[in-house]
Amino acid sequence: MSTIFDFNGAPSAGWSQPDPLTDDPLSGIGQTLRRASLPRWPRASEPELVRHYTLLSQKNFGIDTGFYPLGSCTMKHNPRLNERIVQLPGIDRIHPLQPEHQVQGLLAIYFEMQEMLSICAGMDAVTLQPVAGAQGEFTAIRCIQEYHRANGQGHRDKVIVPDSAHGTNPASASMCGYEIIEIPSGEDGRIDLEALRSAVGDDTAAMMITNPSTLGVFETDIAEAARIVHEAGGQMYYDGANFNAILGKTDPGIMGFDAVHYNLHKTFSQPHGGGGPGSGPIGVKEHLSEFLPSPLASRRAITEDDPSGVGDGYWYFWEEPKSTIGKVQQWNGNAGAVVRAWAFYRRYGKELERMSEHAVLNANYLRHRITQGMAGEAENATFEQGAPANVVKHEFTLNMTPMKEKNGVTAKDVAKRLLDFGYMAPTLYFPQIVPECLMFEPTETESKEVLDKFADDFLTILSEDPEILKSAPHTTPVKRVDEVLAARQLILKYSYE
Amino acid sequence: MDQLPNLGREHDMLKEMGLNSMEDLFEDIPEEVRRTAPLPLPGPQSEESILADAQRLLRANVDLDSRPSFLSAGLSRNFVPSMVPMLATRGEFLTSYTPYQPEVSQGMLQAMWEFQTMVSELVALPVANVSMYDASTAAAEAITCAVRVRSKRALQPNTVYVSEFIPPHRMSVIENYTQGVGIKIEMLPHTEDGLLDLVAAKEAAGSCAVYVEQPNAFGVLDEGLLQLRGIIGETTALIVGVDAVSLGVIEAPGNWGADIVVGEGQPFGIGPTAGGPIYGIFACTKDYLRLMPGRIVGQSVDTEGRVAYTLTLSTREQHIRRHRATSNICSNETLIALMGAMHMALLGPEGLEKLAERTASATQLTMEEVLKVEGVSLMFPEREVFREFAINLPISGKNALERMDEMGVLGGFDLGRWWKSAENSILIGCDERTSDDDIRMLTDCLRVVIEEVAV
Repeated sequence: MSTIFDFNGAPSAGWSQPDPLTDDPLSGIGQTLRRASLPRWPRASEPELVRHYTLLSQKNFGIDTGFYPLGSCTMKHNPRLNERIVQLPGIDRIHPLQPEHQVQGLLAIYFEMQEMLSICAGMDAVTLQPVAGAQGEFTAIRCIQEYHRANGQGHRDKVIVPDSAHGTNPASASMCGYEIIEIPSGEDGRIDLEALRSAVGDDTAAMMITNPSTLGVFETDIAEAARIVHEAGGQMYYDGANFNAILGKTDPGIMGFDAVHYNLHKTFSQPHGGGGPGSGPIGVKEHLSEFLPSPLASRRAITEDDPSGVGDGYWYFWEEPKSTIGKVQQWNGNAGAVVRAWAFYRRYGKELERMSEHAVLNANYLRHRITQGMAGEAENATFEQGAPANVVKHEFTLNMTPMKEKNGVTAKDVAKRLLDFGYMAPTLYFPQIVPECLMFEPTETESKEVLDKFADDFLTILSEDPEILKSAPHTTPVKRVDEVLAARQLILKYSYE
Repeated sequence: MDQLPNLGREHDMLKEMGLNSMEDLFEDIPEEVRRTAPLPLPGPQSEESILADAQRLLRANVDLDSRPSFLSAGLSRNFVPSMVPMLATRGEFLTSYTPYQPEVSQGMLQAMWEFQTMVSELVALPVANVSMYDASTAAAEAITCAVRVRSKRALQPNTVYVSEFIPPHRMSVIENYTQGVGIKIEMLPHTEDGLLDLVAAKEAAGSCAVYVEQPNAFGVLDEGLLQLRGIIGETTALIVGVDAVSLGVIEAPGNWGADIVVGEGQPFGIGPTAGGPIYGIFACTKDYLRLMPGRIVGQSVDTEGRVAYTLTLSTREQHIRRHRATSNICSNETLIALMGAMHMALLGPEGLEKLAERTASATQLTMEEVLKVEGVSLMFPEREVFREFAINLPISGKNALERMDEMGVLGGFDLGRWWKSAENSILIGCDERTSDDDIRMLTDCLRVVIEEVAV
């Protein structure tokens, strides 16, 4: 199989650049520091590389190539307008340290996004600096940590998370030095208030929870949970990974949360790019705002002494929060993601609620189509609902244990077989509290026809010869990949020998 | 609103489920926590009008290419080959996510495996991951990684020595990442001539790690760093932050004893883009592999024995190991790393060398010309530099830059913003695009600014 290192043309074959400004470009750098031999990068021409990467792209599955029901990841369509905007020189060719009068447009967009996100989550202040959801969690927990220290509560050293939480929650709190208290979910997959009551105490710094939960069900006791944590002196942190389900219907502020992160790459459709970039702004209530990372975008009425602004009557500037924790990323966050999210939000404006309605409509419709297809065959059932709710929110889970018990077919086998039908597999084995879990999130940008076809294909797969599933996939560029071998042989780069 | 294929036929779908209205789908949200008022936001817009607004707002920004610019301070005003954004934004790459299903993700997996190889070659270390958020988070997580690996047997457990000549923003990121987990940071001092104090560096022997940068925050290349490995001993991790382009001409830290190398990948692949998305590179020796942060691609085979790629060593990661994970990183900067890989491949070894020579040449020439301006002196005379150098002025750096700005030149970075004591100094950054005309305009402006004060 060929790799990019098979291109090994003449040293002169590569891309052309202008010559250095001087005849002796390294006159200022002594021999001691000089590199002895160059890195063994490929020697390739543009035509060869364009074909190389085009062929690679054809072996990659994206939302653009098919339905991508990867639960918890909100793989919705990425509008191409957003890509067009970030190529404009007014964003691509901007340095984060340019003087304020040279970045009034960027500051105006930052300010508008801070305001919009505050409104949507019922928070008082927002920073756009964290560059991924996990970094948002980390940043918010850092702010909460400083808040406790400032109030003589620095001894609070425990963070509570439900056992259904995203793995990033405990990992982020742990990086701030907190001990993690994991509480079990109740029978219905929702938070167990009794377990929470016995977990809180004078050592509780915060509780981290997402709502709807990772099972896709709304935490109906959330207000009471917030009261329990607050009465114990802890702070409530909202993991915004599932915000796509409830925008405009409720918000973390009303539910009683003190801090929240937003995944701009989920809710506001920044492309996921094979694993990133993301963007994870956080919103906080007033009492936490002085600790936010620096700087925030701010504004005042423009005066005659100011240079020209963006024409809206305001002068925009960077401002440092009073007791800032400093920086979590070196600059001002993933500005490109912020601008994309801005363009996305402008498409909906005050109608953002429609987006959540359709995300929930599609999830319930798909769940209905799949479970209806199994109706009347209880003894032959191949799955159970992950959570017994009447309605779900933006995603739902299936427990494939009956299938496994019947013929040894695992959730993973089903997932792999879906690839043959031209679908991305749902999220596998998460949340860990549902055995043999498949987690589906169709998002609002899939049509009824796609959902119907997927439900039919999914049910077809469940009735196929088990051997076909166990050896799936069959039609993909490579067949099932040996992950154990990969971890054992650890070939992490090309071998030049 | 044009993003919803089922708009206008909600009722059919609801009916099929035995529901009457959208509100039925939200019946599980208790009254107590419902939003009662609509979102106080403006109405929806069409694509056309959003683009018009974006153009209007972004035109109010001054782009770096519109004038001579000497502002760098860690980000590069680079030139990105046209091929790069065009190919990287192909939908198959752009709209994919973390390749959890390798059978349909071979394209991105192979591209990232190739990226790992090119980064590994660049810094001369055997292992690289598929990116961190930026150079600062890469440095911070390199430190926590080194402590995990080294602390148990260290004479100075949980202690790390960090060069005082790193950008304060990066130091702040490092503090945030280390403060909660009991890591003690000691600062490594420099001598007056801008070089690491190698005598003081002996203190670091027996600690978990030393973090230095080559070049440092003032652009100074420090030959003394080549001796650090011998000074701190074998059991202390040597972490080096690099200017990735400089490695086209400067010896790779892996060849002078570094255990972990981090840096800003941005010069390869993407413009400064207002500070993000960019990507951090992270490479290390095999000793750190199992406790390092971030995603890693490994080669394997499929059931028919064909070469295939997959994510590997995932048991380090948060989705499996939860609070015991080596990092909380989940989403990273893969797409930007892909752009970086494309740019690196297009350069090739000789292209990289030329790129570094262009930058070195521009830095040297600019420095020589700027020094001809009366009243200008180097903060660290007679040092070897790459990309940047710091000068002292007879006036405040802030005022000088503001005056130059009025004359249409972005003259550099006000070091007073980073260090109070350096308020009469500016950091001048050069790159492969610096031209003779740019240098002439910079020196003309500096001359005017200084003469104005003298009058």
